[in-house]
Amino acid sequence: MNEIVTNSPFGPEDMARRRKRAIALALILAALVVLFFVTTLVRLGGSVAERAF
Amino acid sequence: MSDIDLTLPQSPAAVEGGQGTVKDYFALLKPRVMSLVIFTAFVGLIAAPGTIHPWIGFVALLAIAVGAGAAGALNMWYDADIDAVMKRTAKRPVPAGAILPGEALGFGLTLAIGSVLVLGLLVDYVAGALLAFTIFFYIAVYTMWLKRWTAQNIVIGGAAGAFPPMIGWVAVTGSVDMGAIALFLIIFMWTPPHFWALALWKKINADYTNAGVPMLPVVAGQDETRRQILIYTLLLFPITLLPSLTGTTGLFYTLAAAGLGVMFIYHSIRVYRLREGVEAETACKKLFGFSTLWLFLIFALILVEHAAGFKPFAPVLG
Repeated sequence: MNEIVTNSPFGPEDMARRRKRAIALALILAALVVLFFVTTLVRLGGSVAERAF
Repeated sequence: MSDIDLTLPQSPAAVEGGQGTVKDYFALLKPRVMSLVIFTAFVGLIAAPGTIHPWIGFVALLAIAVGAGAAGALNMWYDADIDAVMKRTAKRPVPAGAILPGEALGFGLTLAIGSVLVLGLLVDYVAGALLAFTIFFYIAVYTMWLKRWTAQNIVIGGAAGAFPPMIGWVAVTGSVDMGAIALFLIIFMWTPPHFWALALWKKINADYTNAGVPMLPVVAGQDETRRQILIYTLLLFPITLLPSLTGTTGLFYTLAAAGLGVMFIYHSIRVYRLREGVEAETACKKLFGFSTLWLFLIFALILVEHAAGFKPFAPVLG
């Protein structure tokens, strides 16, 4: 059947660069999530569930 | 039925930018400067009285490192015009065209705000405020104002590089005291002879001259720069011994730091006396190289003394 190719302004090299940047950003965001999570645990200390309100 | 080929020639992107690689963005952070910042901040963290949870200490160092990187990126944004003219900096991502100035600005601002928030919220408010001030000082006071305006740019602006050990210290103690100030003063007084030794090199001097940056050798000449290098080195010697007066270090550090200080003065005297020919250039390069090593060793000595459990002197100051 017919193939329609869109007129993308981004060539293969551009897309590869963007993909790598996107992966780096995703990893950094994931690391931030872990950072905040672990720091919260450390700040709260132990036996959180057993403390009185 | 025949296939119809609707492939059109690629048109140029409507939006500029987006060309930087991950490596380019990492280069924006000035990784070599970051490594020195991390090390001095780490020493400040360890040398400070009191304790800090290892994870919180790690978070503090990470935030300080990212803050330093943010300052580097913002500096590269603002100084793109100067960097393009200087051979030493022409290959940086912005003058090389890999990253647009606006992209560097956005990247730097995001990291600056993020690092300050992380340090302030997760570690200590005072440390976060100090990091914010450090970034502001480096960009607004040094980069935007002093660097292009006065030959004393590196003397005053060098304070930005002196804050990291103080921030590491404050992350532990929550406040600035004489011990933190002593570490600050060591780097503050070290900065002028270190960078002026670099600025005396023929190629570097030519670079700054072409770019119109008023470094001391460009404005006041080589002889005056050599004189001031010697003066600052002599002033640095007693300042290096301040940690022993604030109760941070003891005999081991005092003796070793004194020995290193004598070597620093020796190199500075050679730069002062040798003013012509290859010998003069070599003396400047040796001073620059030694001063880099000196700073690392001084802070490493503080670390070693602390790790070995040597008793510090009783504080006389603070």
